[in-house]
Amino acid sequence: MSARQPRFNQHLLIDTTPLPSSIPSVPEIGSSSAPLLSASYFIGARCKPYNDDFMQCKTDANGTGETDCLREGRKVTRCAASVLEDVNKSCLEEFRQHWSCLDDNNQQLWQCRRWERPLNKCVFEKLNIEKKIPGAPENEVQVHLRKRQIFAHSMTTQ
Amino acid sequence: MFGFSGAALSKIRAMQNGGKRARHSVDQWDRQMMDRDRRLTGFLRGQTDNVLAPAGFELSNAWKVERGFT
Repeated sequence: MSARQPRFNQHLLIDTTPLPSSIPSVPEIGSSSAPLLSASYFIGARCKPYNDDFMQCKTDANGTGETDCLREGRKVTRCAASVLEDVNKSCLEEFRQHWSCLDDNNQQLWQCRRWERPLNKCVFEKLNIEKKIPGAPENEVQVHLRKRQIFAHSMTTQ
Repeated sequence: MFGFSGAALSKIRAMQNGGKRARHSVDQWDRQMMDRDRRLTGFLRGQTDNVLAPAGFELSNAWKVERGFT
């Protein structure tokens, strides 16, 4: 039987059996969607090898990735947690302003460039992580560095 | 007249969303992330920037159970 997304569910089942103790337990990331989106490019810049390993493992596992790639997944979680901890320690105010703006704007990055610029500057100075959009063409200015954001609603926040 | 009703509707939406603007064009990724936010903070639009999740978070993702169809 092929598995499909549940569509007509009325009941929820919460399974409280913990994982076996042979699997080392790594605490999950506690940030919600807006801070994670705000820090995503920094996590990508620092954790690129671990993330690539994990994605490669999931592609190669051909369906069994959920149980076969736990080791790579633990590395991804630990690296992302380290980035978030460093950002919280060094650039907390700029970070909070940026993700509050994102939360108010439907999680759209181009509406909040005004708060993203000081955050990028602070993270570059203190943590030496630079935000680069992977796959962007080399001969054009990257979209987050452009002066005018063409889809932004207001001139003050772009 | 339209301005008044527009302002009233947006005020109601902001009250429903915890003082924030409503989300639009929400796809499955956004629904999944909003459900994760609800599990982390208790509110659908709640946000937090803690590094580590509260205890029991890894177990709170529920299985959706369907009755079998014959």
